[in-house]
Amino acid sequence: MTTTTTTSAPTPVQHDPRLKDTWLRRQLITLAIGFVVVAALPLMLGEQAQTVAVRTLIFAVMAVAWNIMSGFGGMFSFGHAAFFGIGAYTGAYLLVERGVSPWVSMILAAIISAVVGTLIAYLCLRYRLAGSYFALATFAFAQMFLLLVQNLEVFNKTEGFNVPILPRDSWWMLQFEKGSPNYVWIPLVILALAVLGTIFYTRSRAGQFVQATRDDETAAASLGIDTMKYRLIAVAASCALTAVAGVYYTQYYFFVGPEQAFGSAVSVEAIVPAVIGGIGTIWGPVIGAAVIGPLSELINELLRNPPAFLEFLQGTIGLDVAAYSVILIAIVIFLPKGIFGTIRERWNR
Amino acid sequence: MKKLVGVLTAVAVVGAAACGSSTGSDDSGPIKIGSVHPTTGALAGVGGLMNDGAALAVADINAAGGISSLDGRQLELVSGDSQGKAEVGQSEAQRLIDDGAVSLIGTYQSDVTQNVASVAERSRIPLVIDVAVDDKILDQGYQYSFRMQPNASSMGTDGAKALAAIEEQTGQAIDRVSYLHIEGSFGDSVFNAFEAEAANQGISSVQEITYPATNFSDATTQVREAAVSNPDVIVATGYYPDGLLIARAVEQLNLNVKGVYGIANGAFDDSSFPGDAGAAGDGVLSANYHFDATSDRVTDIRTRFEAQYGRPMETAAMLSYQAVEVIAAGLNDGASSDPEDLREAISGVSIDDPLLAFSGPIEFDETGQNKNATVIVMQVRDGAIAQVFPEEFATDAIEFPVGSGQ
Repeated sequence: MTTTTTTSAPTPVQHDPRLKDTWLRRQLITLAIGFVVVAALPLMLGEQAQTVAVRTLIFAVMAVAWNIMSGFGGMFSFGHAAFFGIGAYTGAYLLVERGVSPWVSMILAAIISAVVGTLIAYLCLRYRLAGSYFALATFAFAQMFLLLVQNLEVFNKTEGFNVPILPRDSWWMLQFEKGSPNYVWIPLVILALAVLGTIFYTRSRAGQFVQATRDDETAAASLGIDTMKYRLIAVAASCALTAVAGVYYTQYYFFVGPEQAFGSAVSVEAIVPAVIGGIGTIWGPVIGAAVIGPLSELINELLRNPPAFLEFLQGTIGLDVAAYSVILIAIVIFLPKGIFGTIRERWNR
Repeated sequence: MKKLVGVLTAVAVVGAAACGSSTGSDDSGPIKIGSVHPTTGALAGVGGLMNDGAALAVADINAAGGISSLDGRQLELVSGDSQGKAEVGQSEAQRLIDDGAVSLIGTYQSDVTQNVASVAERSRIPLVIDVAVDDKILDQGYQYSFRMQPNASSMGTDGAKALAAIEEQTGQAIDRVSYLHIEGSFGDSVFNAFEAEAANQGISSVQEITYPATNFSDATTQVREAAVSNPDVIVATGYYPDGLLIARAVEQLNLNVKGVYGIANGAFDDSSFPGDAGAAGDGVLSANYHFDATSDRVTDIRTRFEAQYGRPMETAAMLSYQAVEVIAAGLNDGASSDPEDLREAISGVSIDDPLLAFSGPIEFDETGQNKNATVIVMQVRDGAIAQVFPEEFATDAIEFPVGSGQ
């Protein structure tokens, strides 16, 4: 009796072409300016500041990735370490055991991670896990991978992998002289592409559908949106990008162990910048990472050479951790939608 | 959206305004030694002690006239906090190098040390590892890393040999062993080496029981499992909190074993263990690297340390002290503060009268491992740690079997 009728979903509501264009133009100009500013950093910074910049960029890529699935897609993941770890370990294993270039590993890791993530998300959604149950399930998977890696000989169990140090620079093997600006530029390009992708994704059919599903699944489904499909697309994109960050992590730090790859701290590092910056916004995760990444470094620097009125704090150990916590709490209380989200709201009033 | 652009630029600039550029090493002023330890976070207790140990060594060397071959130049300790995280350890190491440190010491944790060692290698700055047990750190073929303590596998091997020697000395048969160890590379590698050597030493069965590294709050289940095979001895490898739990569980369950024997155990030879464990600690044995309690120099350093910092100086802090001495000896021998010359000099040092109970001077082989690093066996006696084996380091005779197994 029933014949499947394909209802073509309504196109996203963007009537005024000028409106659309100015929005896009604004985003792209912002991206371009941001890119140029950050790209100039390695030329002005000392080496230690550069390590902080790289760490911040890795956070930012993870946060942007997390935001695709959890911010726009509304599927709160507390286990992004699983996908970061897949990337870190794929890169490490292929490089150390097979001599494969990290560039190739990035592609492979992205595919593996997207498949695994899609499978996990499919199972969770198929059995109607939502909200905190979904988050717990993702967390459990990350823990499961941690245990797996710790007990598999092929992944060196608990020993982890060391990236062999090459005698000379090599673009193909993604290894340069220490302090080379390339170490900042590569994750910066990855981040820029990720943000660019996010900009177009949110405007695309898939992005609009997934946000509609996030806001009201029943309504979206009743309009004929294949909610499962569009959610899985968001998950796949998110996991693939997270894995790329993982591959780069291993390359930059020359060592990865189970804790560094799959530890629950990694999942938190993906979430915090996005939450601080603003969930479900394009720039939130980037701004969040830019604030959180260098924060404890900046506080420590201040404490090492304090201005006159803070003289008494000099050499206090652990104050950075305390200050970090206070700032986090303050942001969550006073900027409930995140730094970017709240500011944008005030402006638009 | 100009405002947004402004905000973004401001954030990026602020985020980047971390610290100044490198100063490099110069030939005037103090010679900087960088110390990377977990001075905040879960390991802040031991990390702080280690940092203090290094600071005391620097103060002592300066008070004794600095580096004599460099016209008495003074040393300066620049400290970093790894927070117990590998990435942070890496950026801290980098910061100290940018700050002009000509050598590094650190870091207590094996995974953090792996990262710092790769920074040292690529920056061509010598790293003297005070505490970090993993074999793999030096297996990379790194030229700039040196380690004074025995590595994980040699501790497992020596632990098994010492156990066999105790069997011989006391005439008490040790055939069955239950081995409890913490999950992770440290526990795994010590255990694997022990298991291999135990077979050579005629220990017929070794049962392995692991416990998680986090959220481990009660060892009763694992100890009960260890007791199933009716072992002669329970062996334990892990850190302080878990070691304490195991000792308590063994006492609570009133097991019929000849003894509890730690290998590379962070608890059993720590000076606060007898007090924390009470009766559960009595007679517990521990095969570990340890400061040499028979040495006058060690006693003097420990007395001054406690007076200055208000806490007893544990072995880890003594190793940090010793690491600074190794660097000072390198500076002295090479008569140069250039990191390359220093690396060369450290690789050739020979330090007699080490502060740890080693059976010879501190000398590094081509991988950077101290050739003469050994473990000794200690035992809790009358609420204090006594050294009981081998004879040359003994402060007391061994009591075996101990506890209820007699």
